[in-house]
Amino acid sequence: MSVEKKDDEMVGYRQQPGKLPFSKPGSGGKNQFSKPTDASIIPESQGGSKKQPWGPHPHDELVSGQAIGKPTAMVDSRWKVTGQAHYGDDVRLAGELIGRIVRSPHHYARVLSIDVTKALELPGVIAVATGADAANKFGVLPVTKDEHAMAVEKVRHAGDLVACVAAETEATAREAERLIEVEYEILDSIHDMRDGLEDSQTPIHDRGKYHIGESNIQKRVFQEFGDVAGMSQAAVASHKQNWLFAGVNHAATEPHAVVAHWDPSGRLTLYTPQQVPHYLHRALADVLEIPMHQINVHRTFVGGGFGGKSDPFPHEMCAAILARKAGRPVRICLDREEVYWINRGRHPSRIEMNLHADSEGRICGIETDALIDGGAFASFGHVTTYYNGVLHTAPYEIGAFHYTGARVWTNKPASGAMRGHGAVNSRCAVEVGMDDLAEQLAVDPITLRLANLLPPHSATITGFRVTSIGMRECLERVRAASGWDDKFRKMPLGKGIGIGCGFFISGSALPIHWDPNKFPHATVHLKIDMDGGVTVHTGAAEIGQGSDTVIAQSVAEVLGLPLDMIRIKSRDTDTSPVDLGSYSSRVTFMNANAAISAAMGIRDELLDATVEITGAERNKLVIGDRRIFAKNDPAVGVSYLEALHKAQEDRGALVSSGAYRTPPMGRTHKGAAAGLAPAYSFSAYVAEVSVDIETGQTKVDKVWAAHDCGKALNPLAVKGQIIGSCHMGMGQVLSEEMRYLRSGHLMNPDLLDYKIPSVHEMPEVIPIIVESNDLEGPFGAKEAGEGPLLPILPAVCNAVYDAIGVRTSELPITPDRMYRMIENRCRAEKVSDPLDLASPRLEHSALQDTLDARSNAHTERDIERRLDDEREPYHNGALFGLDPTIPPDEVDPRWAVTVLPSDEYLTTPRLAGSAWKHTERRHRGDA
Amino acid sequence: MRMPPFELHNPTSLSEALATAADLEEAGQDFDWIAGGTDLLPNYKWHINAKKHVIALAKVSELTELSPTHIGAMVRLHDLAQSDASHPVLAKAANSIASVMIRRSGTVGGNICLDTRCYWFNQSEQWRESIDWCHKCDCGTAADCRVIPNQNTLCVATYQADLAPVLMCLEATIHLASPSGQRSVLLSEFFELDGMTRNVLQRGELVTHLTLPEGAGEWQGDYQKLSQRESWDFPEAGVAVLWKRNGGAKPADLRVGTTGLESIPGFHTEEAASALVDWRGKESIDELAEAIRKAVKPVQNTWYAPSYRRKMVKVLTRRACAGLL
Repeated sequence: MSVEKKDDEMVGYRQQPGKLPFSKPGSGGKNQFSKPTDASIIPESQGGSKKQPWGPHPHDELVSGQAIGKPTAMVDSRWKVTGQAHYGDDVRLAGELIGRIVRSPHHYARVLSIDVTKALELPGVIAVATGADAANKFGVLPVTKDEHAMAVEKVRHAGDLVACVAAETEATAREAERLIEVEYEILDSIHDMRDGLEDSQTPIHDRGKYHIGESNIQKRVFQEFGDVAGMSQAAVASHKQNWLFAGVNHAATEPHAVVAHWDPSGRLTLYTPQQVPHYLHRALADVLEIPMHQINVHRTFVGGGFGGKSDPFPHEMCAAILARKAGRPVRICLDREEVYWINRGRHPSRIEMNLHADSEGRICGIETDALIDGGAFASFGHVTTYYNGVLHTAPYEIGAFHYTGARVWTNKPASGAMRGHGAVNSRCAVEVGMDDLAEQLAVDPITLRLANLLPPHSATITGFRVTSIGMRECLERVRAASGWDDKFRKMPLGKGIGIGCGFFISGSALPIHWDPNKFPHATVHLKIDMDGGVTVHTGAAEIGQGSDTVIAQSVAEVLGLPLDMIRIKSRDTDTSPVDLGSYSSRVTFMNANAAISAAMGIRDELLDATVEITGAERNKLVIGDRRIFAKNDPAVGVSYLEALHKAQEDRGALVSSGAYRTPPMGRTHKGAAAGLAPAYSFSAYVAEVSVDIETGQTKVDKVWAAHDCGKALNPLAVKGQIIGSCHMGMGQVLSEEMRYLRSGHLMNPDLLDYKIPSVHEMPEVIPIIVESNDLEGPFGAKEAGEGPLLPILPAVCNAVYDAIGVRTSELPITPDRMYRMIENRCRAEKVSDPLDLASPRLEHSALQDTLDARSNAHTERDIERRLDDEREPYHNGALFGLDPTIPPDEVDPRWAVTVLPSDEYLTTPRLAGSAWKHTERRHRGDA
Repeated sequence: MRMPPFELHNPTSLSEALATAADLEEAGQDFDWIAGGTDLLPNYKWHINAKKHVIALAKVSELTELSPTHIGAMVRLHDLAQSDASHPVLAKAANSIASVMIRRSGTVGGNICLDTRCYWFNQSEQWRESIDWCHKCDCGTAADCRVIPNQNTLCVATYQADLAPVLMCLEATIHLASPSGQRSVLLSEFFELDGMTRNVLQRGELVTHLTLPEGAGEWQGDYQKLSQRESWDFPEAGVAVLWKRNGGAKPADLRVGTTGLESIPGFHTEEAASALVDWRGKESIDELAEAIRKAVKPVQNTWYAPSYRRKMVKVLTRRACAGLL
């Protein structure tokens, strides 16, 4: 058999048989002359032919054409598909013990005594631990640390941790579990979030002087911006809906698992599939009372996170405590049911959504009241409470915004952060409201949206700095691709089409721990030794989203290297610089920026070395594929390795560090930082559905999904995120719910009864990538991991309305709920057979032309703004006649910012707003 | 989840299987038969009525015969769904069960004998402890029924297998064997209205095969199933309607079976008979559908509310009758 010699393969390096071919490091040797890089990859701003309709980007000069923008398989995908990736429960250490957790069978109870004698007597049991072994509290947010490793005094939900045991085998551990005798005093539990607003004899937590009355309110928010008093007077159309959203769980494929090992030096290594190793690192130090430098958190491969692995967890503490007691490694792997007990899924919510539009089709007001069910612990709840409001102050320019939010404790597994954190439910309510406003105004809902968009580089009513906005392109592209104009309000009964938009943060501007001051959000270290391979140390947690890949791509792009020359070390806190973790869609934005900055350090040294060798003009040098050469004369240049070896003379390996920190931004009112982000993503989806009128079963037939991610660094990954988001969001809108029955028990803590859509339910999704070229994003990129989930829910709800004319206000729209709505419509319209119902139809009103004209004018405005470096500020409010260059509250007293309710409001508060009826203990004078 | 330990017996013939059963019986040992295991093993992992001995039928080759009139108990659901020898309605029902992987393992006998299901019962041991157990698996506590409290005489767990209503309509006979001999009963008489005893099987007895009458092929019809998802889910309601034509518009004979609604599958002879008395096409179908809706009494122990399931029975019946028009 003759083997074809590949020009690209390494010469002079011996390949092991059967191994994958590697590309050769440096193109020196046979091919002395660099080929100028393909001009179609080089941006116009750098003399190439790649069009830049959104203008140039500061990173343009770093484009080498190597990796960015190319569909790239994940760098760790071979590990996964060949089964060689080690997830949490795959870690095996010599002498390991198996840990099991004893959980509460009661919703709410005082723990009177725990007797572990019998368990300890069982042969094979090595250690037992209880709440007495770990007195210190922890929690992901430093302001709301309210968790213990195991119950101290009280258990707060069925499934709460009481004790744990480590034994030689799992069977022994499970037997020992039964031998631990716990005596409880059962307390009155609450399960309805509305009860959490009331005073209680035994509130689930006690926050001392900060406790809000005697209630179970964990957090409350009141915010008013803009002309709140004037909005209902100006309104010619108003939408009001009371929503009930069931809680949903991330249901990641991999259940949580952890291995703890105290090594002979007395240091702890904790192996765990974590999204935020750094916060766990801190929490472990708190709970175990040892300094952080004595702990190494090793992130294993993560089999899906979606926010469900982003808290420091009690079982992680248990493993560490048991391992310390036993003097041997301890492994704990949760059952699926236990995954539901630790939950941290999306909050069950009651949201009242009010939207107002004036005679010119402007959104003159949004009033939102969101009561969210936090379950037994705070988790990320503080943030969630804000996000339910502030994250729907864009993409539309609005005249007023009123938000009251409250998060209450109930005796359920804790809710927390889940993909689209805090934004999903209220976004669904807003977008359905927009659809209803369009219906009332008799205009096309896409046109209504297009005529009310904030322009690029503007500030929202809450003062968020929004940079690039691709919302308009998203809307226009899904409108065209889906054939919207031929379908909307024109399809037969049972068939419908609907639109939904999304807006999401691309990284949180305020880190959860803001000490020490000015500490970066992300740091990346590079090391290159004489072999030419680049070792990247980053703390960014690869959770399957492709962070390792995107970091590798960024470094490869700047240094002009193939991906296989980049090796990512992102696992151990011992060797990785601190990174805040994989949450709030921050990793690509922040970590890739840090990686680019680190790579630029190396790039400078390589260019210096090239100048030294060739004497070429430094500013003419460019980096192509493994070669550095003069732009004007490609024959003048050196191979990457030559330059590298020159740079390493007398000093050895090159090292470089890069970091990213968000610029200062935002306003100063209480809560102003919640929702601030260095950039925001935008999306618009159109969904087409079929509803079986007789059974109420809804099937999504097709989805056109446009997402503005700034720049798709890896289009394959962006498409994957869009399709995956559709699947996850479809679950929430159609079938997934954590169902609690009358006794407060979670009825479906398993994957048979927790109804994740199967492949049969999954529609064809057409992902459409919009690239708005964010000036601060790495190569222009913004997030694509969470934002794409938001629009699918309202798109489906609105499509359902188009199909059968019923507006849902309860998710998921399971067939029984849908059937009830159809029955109600039949009853209201006195129709006996639902098949005789009329489909909604639309006759445009005169307003349609006004909106079209405004939308066209805004299109020009937006293009001008995005390309103009000298642009004036634009504050929300300009559409309502205010001076765009000044924050409206500074010019118009009616647009004042308010963060405390008035006495008048408190006479008739909305549901969550009633949380403000209580007085904080410290202000009551009896704390 | 961890399986409780049990001893696995692997007989290679029916007689050996029965002998093993007799031995265990004599030794006073409780045991379960295991066919495909797709239902039994999850229950075992949840510590639901697990036994110390399990007799596997996988190697008993006598039980795998499949012909138009003979269906062995160990015929895999996948084979039943794919085989030309299967009645088309039966094949359709078989093909709607769970997922491909489960159908490749699950068997006809196992599906017929599927344990009844309930929200309060199909849960882990720890979960059931948190509700203080239930009547169907009380772990020695004499616990009450959680669906209908204050009664622990009858278990109302739901029978959620797909094949039985079709087989009953095809007038299948089920053949049983035990160490003391063999017997046969009509499938429609096989079930006993109690979520715990479920059927007439005695201790040590097993299903060997089902037979269909010679003329089964002359019956046409349909099976309609209600479930949240097209895959994986047990039927929340299932309706089989089969009929025989005699040339005219009016069916010569009509049979209706239901599943997923009560502790046993329903066989609705009276309702079917009265529909035939004065056949008026669509009108009669509507009346039949309404009669079937009235005849079933689901309780709140599965994914959908009972009121919805009942209403859907009417729709499913109508849809299953579509071929009659």
